[in-house]
Amino acid sequence: MLDAIDKELLAAVADLEGLPKGAFNIRKNGRLLKREVSANIDIESHADGQGITVTIKPGTVNESVHIPVILSQAGLYDVVYNNFIIGADSDVTIIAGCGIHCGGLEPEGHAGIHEFRIGPKAKVKYVEKHYARGPGQGRRSLNPTTKVFLDAGATAEMELTQIGGVDEANRVNEAVLGPNPTTKVFLDAGATAEMELTQIGGVDEANRVNEAVLGPDSLLLITERVLTEGSQKAVSTNNITLEGAGSRANMISRSVIKGDSQQDFYATLDALAPCFGHIECDAIIMDSGRNETVPSLKARHPDAALTHEASIGKIASDQLMKLMSLGLTYDEAVNRIIQGFLK
Amino acid sequence: MLELKDLYFSVGDRNIIDGINYTFEKGKFYGITGPNGSGKTTLAKLIMGINTPNAGEIRFGGKEISQWPITERAREGIAYSFQQPARFKGITFRDLLAMAAGTDDEDMLLALLRRVGICSLSFLDKPVDAKLSGGEIKKIELATTIARNPRLAIYDEPDTGIDLWTIQPMVRLLKREQKEHGTTTIVVSHNRAFLEAADIVLMINEGKLAYRGDLQGALPMLNDLSACNYRKCVGDRDVGCYR
Repeated sequence: MLDAIDKELLAAVADLEGLPKGAFNIRKNGRLLKREVSANIDIESHADGQGITVTIKPGTVNESVHIPVILSQAGLYDVVYNNFIIGADSDVTIIAGCGIHCGGLEPEGHAGIHEFRIGPKAKVKYVEKHYARGPGQGRRSLNPTTKVFLDAGATAEMELTQIGGVDEANRVNEAVLGPNPTTKVFLDAGATAEMELTQIGGVDEANRVNEAVLGPDSLLLITERVLTEGSQKAVSTNNITLEGAGSRANMISRSVIKGDSQQDFYATLDALAPCFGHIECDAIIMDSGRNETVPSLKARHPDAALTHEASIGKIASDQLMKLMSLGLTYDEAVNRIIQGFLK
Repeated sequence: MLELKDLYFSVGDRNIIDGINYTFEKGKFYGITGPNGSGKTTLAKLIMGINTPNAGEIRFGGKEISQWPITERAREGIAYSFQQPARFKGITFRDLLAMAAGTDDEDMLLALLRRVGICSLSFLDKPVDAKLSGGEIKKIELATTIARNPRLAIYDEPDTGIDLWTIQPMVRLLKREQKEHGTTTIVVSHNRAFLEAADIVLMINEGKLAYRGDLQGALPMLNDLSACNYRKCVGDRDVGCYR
């Protein structure tokens, strides 16, 4: 059922050697390839076939669900709308990702619009990887959008990774606070955070926007890792509003910019309440890469505590010398440092 | 086993290493000391290949290595502990130790930790990043040096950031490595504990080898303020600093 290309793409975007254990949904070239559900995790297709709803029972812990998408059909642009309803007090991992194999001149692309509704005190780790490969010249585009609604005390940890093969990426993560569909949370007067993360990426053109608004005592962790090479471009824009008292946000960005590629990173923490926010953005420039990094902190409450660390530069020479003194060649040392940096 | 012949290293018109000739014998423990800025660390870096000499020869095991890159010297059996060890993002102590030892076999890594006296449970998966204390990162640096099983181990100020209680165990460890593995050991240090442990003390002053012999013989020179190369402390302007 899985051919060699499918297996390679699944390994790259979901670390899968074959079919995963537990609940999963594999979509190939716009159609369902294989699905399993578990006692606590249900997956249903939307009536129009363009997406799924994953429902996780309250109290589900230590379970994961894989929902990879693979594309190898020339000329296909696959769009899906996926919903995730995560019950209260659960602790789950969701592994998404899209792998494109481009064999010809025609373009291929995927846009996954993911919406998460995370119940009170629930924890979700969301891992998303993007990867494109193949000998073809066709444009490969990946345009994901992620929206997250965090209920009171809920935690979302996001790892957004672009491994390679994407020529131009523009990531935007956005979120706005809105009335939570759960009335109880809405009544908690600000006890709700709604976060919208949009990621648009692709071989020739990609874009990511993350926007988030955090309610009281909610926690947001975003980790973004992007490697560009050749003449690729990637832009990541992140606007995080800390609206609720006791809310915490930590945004980590790691960029490696090879060849003539360019990556730009913009992140804003807008604090409206007593809260903690931190941005850490590091870019390693190799060859003739270019980077613009703009972290921005806005404290609109006297008890807001906001910090940022930003660095752009080549690989530190003391790191290279240390690894070379352990017997690695210069190239091996560079690869090892980059591998760790993007881990 | 290591021979330095007419070795020079200069920056601009200043000779940092100014014509050093010396032969290190296999399996001996050397303490290199001298005033700040005298050229001790530079000499150590020339041996590892971190700096390349302007003139002179470095022969290691009979091979002229003065133009070899760091990697080649490491593979030939020279290991180096940096005074200010590098910190990484996303690399753990386990990763570094595996690179140093050339294996990621858990049992072998644990055996290495026992050999260097590090508690494996608390240390192995620590990221080697900016969060480590000065003492922790120096222990990691020492462990990765020993994990190389080097023929020549160079330690640049190994006690920097180490608490007083750890210095003697560290000295015993380096002596044990010297005895059990026949490691030729060079320690650059101001610390008396390391100099007392050395078979031979070398004193560098203004880029020249000013003394070679036992510690007792070096003490008058070490106590002599003339070893200070700033020459600003004269008469009532003498601040009496200890060097």
